Amino acid sequence: MPGSSTVSEKEAANIVAYLRTMDSTTASGVATGDPKKGESLYNSSGCSACHMIAGQGGSIGPELTRIGAMRGATNLKGRLQDPGANLPQVGEGAFGNRWTQYLMYHAIEKDGRVVEGVRVGEDSFTIVLKDAGGKFHGLWKPDLRSLEKEPGRSFMPSFKDTLSAAQLDDLVAYLMSLKNAQ
Amino acid sequence: MKISLYALVFVVSLLSAPARLLAQDVSYEQLLHADATPQDWLMYGGDYQSQRFSRLTQINRENVHRLKPAWMYQPNHPLQPFETSPVVVSGIMYVTEPLSTVTALDARLGTKIWSWTPHLPEKIYTVGVHRSNRGVAVLNNTVYVETLDAHLVALDATTGAVKWTVHVDENDRGYAMTGAPRVLDGKIIVGISGGDVGIRGFVDAYDAKTGKRLWRVWTIPSPGEPGSETWGKDMSGTGGAGTWGTGSYDPELNLLYWTTGNPAPDYNGHNREGDNLYSDSLLAINPDTGKMKWYFQFTPHDTHDWDAIQVPVLFDETVDGKPRKFLALANRNGFYYVLDRATGEYVTGVPFVTQTWAKGLDKKGRPILLPNTEPTPEGSLVYPDGHGGTNWNSPSYSPQTKLFYVSAREVGAYTVAGEPKVHFPDFGGGGRNALSGDDGYGAIRALDVMTGKLKWEYRMLAPTEASTLATAGGLVFSGTDEGNFFALDAANGKLLWEFTVGGANSESNLITYEVDGKQYLIGASGNCFVAFSLP
Repeated sequence: MPGSSTVSEKEAANIVAYLRTMDSTTASGVATGDPKKGESLYNSSGCSACHMIAGQGGSIGPELTRIGAMRGATNLKGRLQDPGANLPQVGEGAFGNRWTQYLMYHAIEKDGRVVEGVRVGEDSFTIVLKDAGGKFHGLWKPDLRSLEKEPGRSFMPSFKDTLSAAQLDDLVAYLMSLKNAQ
Repeated sequence: MKISLYALVFVVSLLSAPARLLAQDVSYEQLLHADATPQDWLMYGGDYQSQRFSRLTQINRENVHRLKPAWMYQPNHPLQPFETSPVVVSGIMYVTEPLSTVTALDARLGTKIWSWTPHLPEKIYTVGVHRSNRGVAVLNNTVYVETLDAHLVALDATTGAVKWTVHVDENDRGYAMTGAPRVLDGKIIVGISGGDVGIRGFVDAYDAKTGKRLWRVWTIPSPGEPGSETWGKDMSGTGGAGTWGTGSYDPELNLLYWTTGNPAPDYNGHNREGDNLYSDSLLAINPDTGKMKWYFQFTPHDTHDWDAIQVPVLFDETVDGKPRKFLALANRNGFYYVLDRATGEYVTGVPFVTQTWAKGLDKKGRPILLPNTEPTPEGSLVYPDGHGGTNWNSPSYSPQTKLFYVSAREVGAYTVAGEPKVHFPDFGGGGRNALSGDDGYGAIRALDVMTGKLKWEYRMLAPTEASTLATAGGLVFSGTDEGNFFALDAANGKLLWEFTVGGANSESNLITYEVDGKQYLIGASGNCFVAFSLP
């Protein structure tokens, strides 16, 4: 069959199969820290320079207004420690291909100019990267000297060595409290 | 008799300019020699060989970079897959729109001439079936279309008026129709969808004038018939093996080549021990009698949903000084096959994408299975995924380059065995979980038609289900999953032109035609049907 247009038992089984193979940490874990302390850490660690919550903050990284409803505590803690690992995927799930979000690329144009950024859009002939300053670069692939994925990389620094385990838990507790911040 | 100047001008204009719009008749003789009128695109696949090769050369490798949109058309029922392969006759284009609408357009202007939509029931069973339609067939002054609720309808080509309707089978038992019919001399050949919900597949022939059914070839034998022993028990009522592609035809051999889909339930074979004939097979049928002359099964006892409904491409070649008749098919299971189309003898078979389920094919073309590739409750990673190394989308063949052009899908999936469910509409046996798009890719691959050896490839971002179109202008056209149309040099795969439409899934079958001395290319992407021409 080429695909499906109504959800049948079979397709429900597909969805179950899909969920089974998803990142097991996506919706798991319990926030054990103090969200108030975590909020202070968020503000003092410079997070808002890149992330937006309820309309306040930067726009280089993903918006966090509803991050507590979208991710689990284990996942968020892992992201703070190793931001480029285990990136989330979006797409059609069981019925098609999912795509990695926030994947970094290193592009070299024909004149030698280097563009490094997070993929925000791509098709077979073009790619749009967002650089560390939040600027978009639309590139025509056939004109590039090279285009390489950089799995594991991220513009976000790791907080693995700069925050204690307790501070990480506090920050995660704060992020988990963001269900739909206004 | 007094005739005003105005009336005279009117009569003269009716006799001259619109003549192009009043010549929709297509004789069987024309269909037999479709390559003699390359300005038309007379049938699914372009000709009876399904080569999808156009002899038009106005758009060619030197000027294709200047190709621009000429017009666009949008269907009435958006947000459903737009998979039509248009038929063009003397400047009139017949397209199908989701769900089962037929529209006649002026092929030069894109202007709608008439449109016909069937009265479909509120509840239509299309489990495992795209709610789409892949095109019409035209014979004499009649347009034939299959409807989602499993009817075959004959329409007047000039007005869209219904000439006759036949009820092919029971939609409330899962039988649905989405394909393009194949017309022969006075016969309309159709297949059926619904193989995933336990129908019993068939190929039917109907009288073109009256709609009377002439014969039916079942794809699953009745108890006691040859092949019935390959199911372990009587599965003749629910074994699937749909026939939702469109077959090819050799008038000299008088053989119709029609392909069949997966056995049901799809991902769990415990309920159907054996090869499950004639699922995932190619059937060679005498269209006069409805008798099967030979068959070839690609994937015995399929548990990965690898319908073999890909288009059989017919080609002739001289081997050891002797002219031979062959058939090429790039299968969803990842192998490219060449068969002797007179006898059904297996000639060659090689993988055209990564495949991890078979060590290879034996001397008769039967796959030599590798261990641990069956679906499991936890999921078993197998290449290609369930959508296959390629799918329903047509390949093309250029007699100039002797290359077979196929949109290849490089991606695997975890195949999961579930509890077999065998009571309609609760039918199935598991599912699949495709890998990330970043772990796969699509490619247009040019294969040596006789050996299947890769000559060149052009990579795309995503595994794609788009047709290819080869032309005498030295070009291969195709589309991407992300909504781009593009042209490659047929000889070496170099990118020569690209146009972004933006709608996902450029899945329709691209065709080309000529009106008033101008060549057009047309295809659908998302909900938009776009015609291109040189400025």
